[in-house]
Amino acid sequence: MVIVSVMALTASMLAGCGGGGTGTAQEPDNGSQAGVTTLRFATWDTGDALKIEQDIAKKFEESHPGTKVQVEAYADGFDQKLAAGFGAANPPDVMYMWDFPTYHQSLEPLDDYASKDKDLNIDDFYQGLFNYGKIGDKLYGIPAGFTTRVVYYNKKLFDEAGIAYPNDGWTWTDFQDIAKRLTDPSKKQYGFGVRAENDTYDLQGLVWSNGGSFISEDGTTIEGYMNSKETAEAIQMLGDMLKNGTAVLAGGKGQQSGEDIFKAGKIAMWESGIWPLESFREAGIDVGTVEMPAFPGKPVKGVLAESALSIAKDSKHKDLAWEFIKFYVSDEAIKMRVADLPVRASVVNELKKDQDPLYKPYYTMLERSDNTPAFLLNPKWNEVNRQLSAAVESVMFGSDAQEALNQAVKDSERYLK
Amino acid sequence: MSFQRTQKVAGRMFAGAYRSIRTKLLSWFLIVTLIPLFSLGALSYYQSARIINSQFGKYGDNAVAQLEQQTSSTLSRMKQTAETIYSYLLDPSRMGIGNQAPTTYRDILEKNDFESLLKSLRTQLTAGIYIITTSGYYYGENNLDVAKLDRIPLWRSKPKAYAGTYWLGFYPQDHFIKSSDSGNRSVIGLAVPIHHPDKSQDGSIILIEEYAEELLQMFRQFEQDTHAHLQISSPDGTVIYETDAAYSPKDSDVTWSRTLAVNQWTLEARIPAKAFYRSSGIIRANTMTVAILSCLLAFGIAYLFSSRFTSRIRTLKDSMQKVSFGKLDTRTPIDGRDELGSLDMSFNRMVTGIQELIGEVERSERLKKEAELRAFHYQINPHLLFNTLNSIQWKARLEGAEDIRLMLYHLTMVLEGNLDISQELVTLRRELRMIEHFLKVQEIRYGEVFRYRLECDDSLLPYLIPRMTLQPLFENIFFHAFTDGEGEIDMSIRMDGDDLVLMLRDNGAGMKEEQLARLFSPEVKRKGRGGLGVRNADQKFKLHFGPLYGLTVYSVKGEGTTITIRWPKKEESDDVGNRENQGADCR
Repeated sequence: MVIVSVMALTASMLAGCGGGGTGTAQEPDNGSQAGVTTLRFATWDTGDALKIEQDIAKKFEESHPGTKVQVEAYADGFDQKLAAGFGAANPPDVMYMWDFPTYHQSLEPLDDYASKDKDLNIDDFYQGLFNYGKIGDKLYGIPAGFTTRVVYYNKKLFDEAGIAYPNDGWTWTDFQDIAKRLTDPSKKQYGFGVRAENDTYDLQGLVWSNGGSFISEDGTTIEGYMNSKETAEAIQMLGDMLKNGTAVLAGGKGQQSGEDIFKAGKIAMWESGIWPLESFREAGIDVGTVEMPAFPGKPVKGVLAESALSIAKDSKHKDLAWEFIKFYVSDEAIKMRVADLPVRASVVNELKKDQDPLYKPYYTMLERSDNTPAFLLNPKWNEVNRQLSAAVESVMFGSDAQEALNQAVKDSERYLK
Repeated sequence: MSFQRTQKVAGRMFAGAYRSIRTKLLSWFLIVTLIPLFSLGALSYYQSARIINSQFGKYGDNAVAQLEQQTSSTLSRMKQTAETIYSYLLDPSRMGIGNQAPTTYRDILEKNDFESLLKSLRTQLTAGIYIITTSGYYYGENNLDVAKLDRIPLWRSKPKAYAGTYWLGFYPQDHFIKSSDSGNRSVIGLAVPIHHPDKSQDGSIILIEEYAEELLQMFRQFEQDTHAHLQISSPDGTVIYETDAAYSPKDSDVTWSRTLAVNQWTLEARIPAKAFYRSSGIIRANTMTVAILSCLLAFGIAYLFSSRFTSRIRTLKDSMQKVSFGKLDTRTPIDGRDELGSLDMSFNRMVTGIQELIGEVERSERLKKEAELRAFHYQINPHLLFNTLNSIQWKARLEGAEDIRLMLYHLTMVLEGNLDISQELVTLRRELRMIEHFLKVQEIRYGEVFRYRLECDDSLLPYLIPRMTLQPLFENIFFHAFTDGEGEIDMSIRMDGDDLVLMLRDNGAGMKEEQLARLFSPEVKRKGRGGLGVRNADQKFKLHFGPLYGLTVYSVKGEGTTITIRWPKKEESDDVGNRENQGADCR
């Protein structure tokens, strides 16, 4: 009721203001009218990242007269709104996408566009990125941005404690040792911060580094994988650090987020993707980055978080949508997007990002990110993940990892049959 | 002092109003203009004010109803959300939702399920859905800081034991872990305590918050549109929302009131009577302004018109005044051909007439004076004349000159008549006798060569005739018409209605046309005395009886002259008669 009345009001206001004009008032339902084509672009970003995306949209409008890009910021409600849009056959034309197993049936396959269009220069992309946008043999998303996960550390706290900055090739033993030395309960200062509610996706790098995984490589089995000794060990390690007080829970009920605590200088090390880097620097933290620690004798593995751009199957302006995607991953647009890591090797080389010590670890971790995440291996992964998440969370609150994972596997088996 | 003066001025004006035709005209004009103007103005004011007031009343009522509906829909949505959560919690299988932080796999699974339910209940307007347990642990988004809930005014003051729903009213959402940078948004809150003695969540509170900006915006819009004071109060008298706390309600306020069915909140909009009737006040002010302007306009036009009108009357009046002061050459200018113009014209004609008449009177007076002067001159020494004549007569008798003596006798008689100027009008009898004496003189002089015949009824003899009018005519006959006194004279006097007509005819020389014409013209200088008698006689008649009377002369050269005199019958009055002894004989 409210929305309808507001819309009616807006429409009447537009009619009132635009009287005598060329009549270019748009209806969100119908993209093209009177020579102006409206392209809807959905994003989950907010704040600065959203601002950048709006600027790119404006640039695109400038180079494509008669086009209006309507940036729709769904933020937290991204999944809900996107699902609603697909359900109503009224999705945005272009959207940010990562969960291809869930949505690929509503998306336009992009292989033809990508192979026919020489301008895209597909070879310039980090090739590993394409794995995330593929379901079966079909490509549903063009990589737009990505991040790997690294360890941030507060140089000031390290200096105060007289501890040398960590280097690539360090181990979880080194990590725990440093964390212990940087913990000072009297100052409410801790060596490390652990999320109360982890996204199990992010934990895959840790699990893989210990030789474990959540699901078999063929995607059929979790028994013996999700509750394997290696998997349990890796997760138990976080629980243990919380128990022995060298780490503090962050982002739970009544708790500040890890980023805020890090910015406040109350945790020395924090594990995350590239997203908070800019805000750490803005907060005046002398921050350093280092690749993830290794389990002794085992190779470090990374997990890649990728955002791609997809075109809705129901889009009425697919060619224009493709043009927009192409512009979005062009050198020009990539350079504008400082909150993401560039997806093109040429841009990375040009900007010498891989030489910058602050950025180098992300690329090192990219090289180590060759495992396939669980959600790409099994379409029912979301159901399984419910149990896995609860199990991981219970470990953070003191449960035994092995027991919790065993229960989770037991509860999840029925989804895989 | 000043009051008295104004009273005096007003009195003068009032008195003046009765005196001046202009003021009267002005007031009538104004009355004629103002009565329809004011009645029309008053009518239109009352009608439009009534319509506007009733429309504004309806508008306000509708607006309040709309506010009620919007608020109601928000409140019922919140209540419904709370009820959904409540009923979920009542499900006996949800054992995991305790009052402590969940730590086991099972509890966390339950918590996650519960929180995904809470998430699914969220709408665009939802600001927060939390279940705060007695331990301080809560379900819902992780951003809540339970310790800061006391910042909600009504949360702080909520009674220890309460059942059912507890509405927290409007407040800024300021209970997050991380203080919001971009200002705290306004929300409306609902707290529902859980009563479930058998379960651990007993005593927990469901807190539902919805963004209230839209509602508050509506309130503000309403306040702005209607200038009303909006107040929402709960049944126990707590003020939930108020436009301005300093507002003091009055009995005269126009109020619209609604009660929300959801929670019995009372929505009351008050408009001070003054503000409510402001629109009609504006209409009244406009009507008044227009009326006053029209008034001034009417006054101005009336003033101009009446000044044009009355200035003409005044000019006429001034002219009359001048005439009354004797300035007879005054003429009033004639403006236009209307009634006033013809009045002007008549006035001018009248003054011209008066001027002519007065000129006439003046001239006749002068003539009279001259005649009197002349007579006086003749009278200088009549005694000497008569004594001398008597002496001559006596001498003539002694000498035996009977002729001379007779002549002298008759001359004396003629002169006596001539010189007696005590009366201007004399009887016909006397005038005729004098003519006979005159004729005797002529007879003695010329001998019996002429014949005189008189035809006059005796009854006519007492009537009056101007003195010395006939004798000059006879003199003319002897001096101009007859040669050596030879000829015939016929005179007849008869009555013609109220007039007397005297006809004197001779058979003498007669006159030519131009001579005849010259007879009555005063301008022409005459040689000798000839003809003077005719004009004088005519003037005398006219002087005494008016211009309608007088002499007419008919003459043919060589055939004689006929003079006709017409004058009104007039008998001498008593006092005149007493002085004329001979007249008394006639009676």
